Amino acid sequence: MRPSVLSRVSSLAAALVAAGLIFLPLWWVFASSLRPGNTFVEYLTPLSWTAFLPLGGSFTNYSVLLSGDFARALLNSFFVAGATVVLGLVIAVLAAYALAVLDFPGRGLVFAFVILVSMVPFDAIAIPLSGLFSTWRLSDTYAGLILPALANGFSIFVLRQFFLGVPRELLDAAEVDGLGRLGILIRIVLPLSKPALIGAALMLFLSQWQAYLWPLLIGTSPAKQLAPIALANLSSLYQVDLGQILAGSFVLSVVPMILLLFFQRQYTDSLSTTGLRG
Amino acid sequence: MAAVTEPRLVQAATLPRRWSPRRRRDARLAAVLLAPAVLVMVMLRVVPAVSALSESFRHLSLRTGVKDFVGFDNYLYLFGSSQFHSVLTTTLLFNLVINPVIVVLSTALALLLAQRLPLAGLWRSLIFVPAAVPGSVVALIWSTAMQPDGLLNSALRLVGLPPQPFLTSSSQALGSIGVMLAWGAIGYWMLFVIAGLKDIPVALYEAAMIDGAGWWQRLVSITLPLLRRPMAFVLVACTVGSFLAFAPVQILTKGGPDNSTTLLMYDVYTNAYQVGDLGVAQAEVVVLMALLAVIVAFQFRMMREER
Repeated sequence: MRPSVLSRVSSLAAALVAAGLIFLPLWWVFASSLRPGNTFVEYLTPLSWTAFLPLGGSFTNYSVLLSGDFARALLNSFFVAGATVVLGLVIAVLAAYALAVLDFPGRGLVFAFVILVSMVPFDAIAIPLSGLFSTWRLSDTYAGLILPALANGFSIFVLRQFFLGVPRELLDAAEVDGLGRLGILIRIVLPLSKPALIGAALMLFLSQWQAYLWPLLIGTSPAKQLAPIALANLSSLYQVDLGQILAGSFVLSVVPMILLLFFQRQYTDSLSTTGLRG
Repeated sequence: MAAVTEPRLVQAATLPRRWSPRRRRDARLAAVLLAPAVLVMVMLRVVPAVSALSESFRHLSLRTGVKDFVGFDNYLYLFGSSQFHSVLTTTLLFNLVINPVIVVLSTALALLLAQRLPLAGLWRSLIFVPAAVPGSVVALIWSTAMQPDGLLNSALRLVGLPPQPFLTSSSQALGSIGVMLAWGAIGYWMLFVIAGLKDIPVALYEAAMIDGAGWWQRLVSITLPLLRRPMAFVLVACTVGSFLAFAPVQILTKGGPDNSTTLLMYDVYTNAYQVGDLGVAQAEVVVLMALLAVIVAFQFRMMREER
């Protein structure tokens, strides 16, 4: 009872059309970003298929963009996202290990707290937090940009679920062999948890790389501006060079895109297994 | 949860469990390991939420610089203002439309792409890729495409339709923002529905085929009922996301034209940073958190019912 050829062909056609329609705007951004200034508009009136051809283009937009403030903002974004991944992973790994492996009174309570807190969407409390940060003198500092993303309960949850899956016998055997609690974490649990670590790292990276509201609220001086803010500011200038906006858009999109396509399996597994089956 | 009940090999049998030195050592280590996480979560999530609540009962007098306790005045002002009514209505209507659209589209795409098709992985990746684009960049890309002489209008002209104003028209701006949000979201949520589809036992379909059920019947009586849990999850998670929509409004429309795109998050932002009325802004944050709490509580109920 295999599906008929006709239904298979129509499914394929539908998939092709859907993928094409959804991907096309992004492809157009890429093709247009290779045309200096606002010249990409010339290919739109009337619309011809050459608008989607990244041929005969130049990297003018990119070189102009990357010689201005945007370059520094991009470096800031890399630094802030990188620091968030490293610090966030350390915090989450330690907490998840305690919650998964150690036996202590109040464990259920702490876990419930982690779950509850991870359900508070950060953006909802970003505005009150920005007021607190200015009284704590954290406004316009790298620490101010990095700290809020470290309180990521979801990454603790994902890692804990994975750590629970490490066979108990393995941990007990390591203990009999004389490995301490932290030795077990470093030598046994972490090497086994690469997929979960990659998933959590990506989650932390994306939360920073894609952030807009928080860096807008806190990173006021140009020296500490993040790339999405710099790009949005560029778009509100009196003389808007849309070619540069598109080039910046492409740069900001291609970084997470490469990471996600490369680590798609780990990322989606960490999301879907926890989000749905719990 | 196996870890709790697991018998311990090395545990001294004579000591009461609670007081074994090993358990005490574990408890001390746990406290150390958990301290950084609990500290950041308290300082960066709990404290601001509590502070929003307490500040929402205060008013900063610009004349004296003193914060006075004003009880529910900020809330009374908020609920008495027609601006807030229109913001609330706009936000709720927007969510009532955009989220079901996203769920239906992502489910349809999931049903299409969970089949065994040539190059299925490629189509899936192409549809997922917009999820990688930061929200602010989604806004910038689409505003460029929605310019008077941009990509969308040239496409309309190609099929003989008149050009549209999109973001500069009060009747189209909110819809245009909805298109942006949906574009960035459907590929992402599609993956969750695909994961749900993979959990449905193949045997169910085989049995239905033997009973002579057609494609439509299998969809209605097997697939959709068994997809209820993932679909409920997607609906709620994407509602939380859409409730917090901010970047496109702040970057592109500033709430206009004619207030048609003033969504809740943007209104909180303007109350706090443009109007400078922090008490009212915090009261609005509390209303927003309460609304989201209702949604999350609803999520729990939907998830539990299935068990």
